[in-house]
Amino acid sequence: MRISTGQIFQQGLTAILNQQTALNKTQQQIATGQKLASPADDPVAAVQILNFEREINILGQYIGNGKAANTKLSIEEGVLKGVTNVLQRIRELAVQGLNDTNTGADRSAIAQEVLALNDQLLSFANTTDASGNYLFSGFNTDTQPYSSIGASYSGDEGQRNIQAGPDVLVETNDPGNAIFEAEFAQTLVTDNASPSSASINITATGVNNIISPAMTISFAAPDTLSVTDGTNTAVVTPYTSEQSLVLSDLNINFPDLTLQLEGGLADGDSYTLETQVTNKKTVFSTVNDFANALINDTVSSNDSPNNGDFLTNITTVLQTVIDTQAKIGSRINVIEQQEEISEELALRVQETLSDVQDLDYAEAISRFTLQSTALQAAQQTFVQVQGLTLFNYL
Amino acid sequence: MSLLTTGVSALNTSQTSLATAGHNISNVNTEGYSRQRVNQSTLPPNFQGANYVGSGVSVSSIERLYDEFLAIQVRTFTSQQAQHESFAKVAGQISTVLGSSASSLSGGLESFFNAANGVANDPTSIAARQVLLSEGESLVNRFRTLDNQLAQIDSQLDGQLAASIDEVNLIAKGIAGLNQAIIDLSPSSGGQPNDLLDQRDELINRLAEYVSVNTIEEDIGSVSVFIGTGQGLVIGTTQTDLKAITDLSTDPARLGIGYGSNSIDISAQISGGSVGGLLQVRGDVIDAARNELNALATAFIDNVNTIHQQGVTLDGSVGGNLFGPIPPSTLVADAGSIFVAVTDPRDVAAAFPASVTTSSNTSGTGTVEITSIDSSPPLTLPLFGAGAEIQFIYNDTTNEYAVTDGVNVTTITYDPAVDSGKTFNLTTPFVGLTVKLSGVPADADQFTIGNNTAVGDNRNALALANFRTEKILGSGTQSLADAYDILIADVASRTNRAEINKQAQQGLLGQLQARFDSISGVNLDEEAANLIRYQQAYQAASQIITVSNTIFNSLLSAL
Repeated sequence: MRISTGQIFQQGLTAILNQQTALNKTQQQIATGQKLASPADDPVAAVQILNFEREINILGQYIGNGKAANTKLSIEEGVLKGVTNVLQRIRELAVQGLNDTNTGADRSAIAQEVLALNDQLLSFANTTDASGNYLFSGFNTDTQPYSSIGASYSGDEGQRNIQAGPDVLVETNDPGNAIFEAEFAQTLVTDNASPSSASINITATGVNNIISPAMTISFAAPDTLSVTDGTNTAVVTPYTSEQSLVLSDLNINFPDLTLQLEGGLADGDSYTLETQVTNKKTVFSTVNDFANALINDTVSSNDSPNNGDFLTNITTVLQTVIDTQAKIGSRINVIEQQEEISEELALRVQETLSDVQDLDYAEAISRFTLQSTALQAAQQTFVQVQGLTLFNYL
Repeated sequence: MSLLTTGVSALNTSQTSLATAGHNISNVNTEGYSRQRVNQSTLPPNFQGANYVGSGVSVSSIERLYDEFLAIQVRTFTSQQAQHESFAKVAGQISTVLGSSASSLSGGLESFFNAANGVANDPTSIAARQVLLSEGESLVNRFRTLDNQLAQIDSQLDGQLAASIDEVNLIAKGIAGLNQAIIDLSPSSGGQPNDLLDQRDELINRLAEYVSVNTIEEDIGSVSVFIGTGQGLVIGTTQTDLKAITDLSTDPARLGIGYGSNSIDISAQISGGSVGGLLQVRGDVIDAARNELNALATAFIDNVNTIHQQGVTLDGSVGGNLFGPIPPSTLVADAGSIFVAVTDPRDVAAAFPASVTTSSNTSGTGTVEITSIDSSPPLTLPLFGAGAEIQFIYNDTTNEYAVTDGVNVTTITYDPAVDSGKTFNLTTPFVGLTVKLSGVPADADQFTIGNNTAVGDNRNALALANFRTEKILGSGTQSLADAYDILIADVASRTNRAEINKQAQQGLLGQLQARFDSISGVNLDEEAANLIRYQQAYQAASQIITVSNTIFNSLLSAL
């Protein structure tokens, strides 16, 4: 084909310009470390990059949320640990105070310590976080949950959730009424107009201390004691005064109580025992009532609240607190697991993102070398071809 | 004397050939120049006695080497290439603006929803609320910046179009003038004014860069040029001006291309060339991107406001509009006018106005949870009048919750085995609520939904944060961020396609141009050879005259 001089020039120049464009693009890639300079370079990859970046961002937020929740839950857990210690100490003091060897003065002294511990318990329930928000008042974080020992709960049932993962909501607080309030059991002992001077003494020995339905204990001369809850009946012969009977040993349907009749027994002696479980009562009132009973030295079986019930009730509260701690523990677990999952996932997405977005330097640099060689070649051939003209020989 | 005449004719012809070779060499770099060739032919022979004796040579024509068919193809591909190029240039600008991490909506949305999570994590913190407002502000700025940039590109495009129209008019005027000159020169002599033809073809080629053209050559030598769907730009020696007119059919008003004395808008008819590319990118990319951005702004404002309005502020009043302006639901907000409507961080509605209280003698594990509150019509607080709280009482025989607000009664069937975790809507006459029921409630378990003014409630902030991934666009298949991604993908792939098309057309154009040049282009070596050839011919012709002189002298000396 015939080639015009302009064509030779133009082709040589175009080759150089094209090589320069390619070289410049590679240079830009190496300078930024990224494959794409504009979304138009690779629309699919561009959208993928945006998606991956968003994914990493959300995962980062989940991890951040989890950390925030973890902090709150750890604070709550610390407070509840203190609550458990105080409750256990109160329980120890109660056991000590209920011991018959105590004099009224001894009990009064113990009561003082119990009252001091109760104040501490109250201050635990009214704990605030660094920003002055109450931990245990639900959503009502600006309201003191328990304003005094005898006060009822002023918060609400609100539980703040945080998002620790897609569809993973974790509660970060527990309302005070789910921790510091528990069912309150009270055992009533009715002396059915017994003619003798005998008295009854009940102690809890196990978990099941609730007497329901009512039980009747009756003594018949000379030495027969019968125990019935209306359905099951047990008869103990011979029975002598101050002999301890473990009720659950007599019949498995009976509660875990130890029963003891004291004093002179007479035919027809009869007692009715029944535990009434009332609605929730704050632990502060329960402890306070018990301390007052200690001070007044009214802690025998026939007094209200009686000794066994207090231990039962304080154990119930303790159990509630421990249950809550377990819940917190499992929430922290969930958060930590979710955090691990999120971190793992973020790492994976980051790797994929890097595959899509980041430049393979080894490849880019060898491409750069190749392109600069090509450019040099184009430049050299251009000059040489331009030198070839017949006019040189005219 | 015939030998002398023959020699002179050869001398003249060689001179013309040398002049043409010189003309070719001098125009080697002239844009649009087609090489010329001298066609020679023998002069009529003289009849002498019984034979015809040749009488020399003459120039029959000076021909322009030009392939009309290739020229038209070059023009067509020039138009297409220019169209794709101008399209890719503008679309590339837009896709860079949309995709850049500094101005992209993607990052702004992320930061905003992260801030909503921050409020959910610490609902009483003024700092967290302030961050939400600041992030809202920065998101709003991104909306505005994008809208602004698109508007700027749009007006730059108007400027380019106006400049192109001026240039097209100028070229058309040149063509009409050349037509006149060619008509004037053509009939006076047998030959064609080759250089004028070249100039005209070059002007038509330049016109093709701006807009697709059709040409018709008239017998008298003029060429008529048509654009669009047959609008005559140059007819013979008359030229019709294009005018930049204001097209009021769009909002905002923009530049249109007017034709003729009545300035009829022919923007829609124009295709090809850089003007065609600009008009196409305006419709396909700029308008589409602006519309989508407005749609995103509308969806964002509407939905976020709806969520915000179902909540209560730190001061216990109903949440207002978090973002403005408020378009009537049928109209689309302008992304450039969006603003944050809340200034006081306390006015961020992070709480719900209602909460659930579990009755103290509840013994099952069932729960009732409020997931959203119907905020249309706007809520009035307190949500529940005295005694009008909604009570849920479970019946485990019929597996139903009896629901009452003291006046109205309804039942919700809830079988713990299959329905746990499902949501149920309470509608008028009840206060509009969506509740999630879960767990295994015991018989007669009772829950009450009543007023809530608690400051530590984060449920609405959580609802706002969760809106991040909610698929509200594209018939429930795209979240806001997804829709934005799709917009970028759309613009980017259009740019990419135009770029690829441009390269393809460039390749084709290069090949055509090469073929065209191989016919019309000047080759210096060829001309050098021609110089030698015609120089030799000239020298030989001179020798004819010398010989003629010599034989004449010898005749004279013989006398």
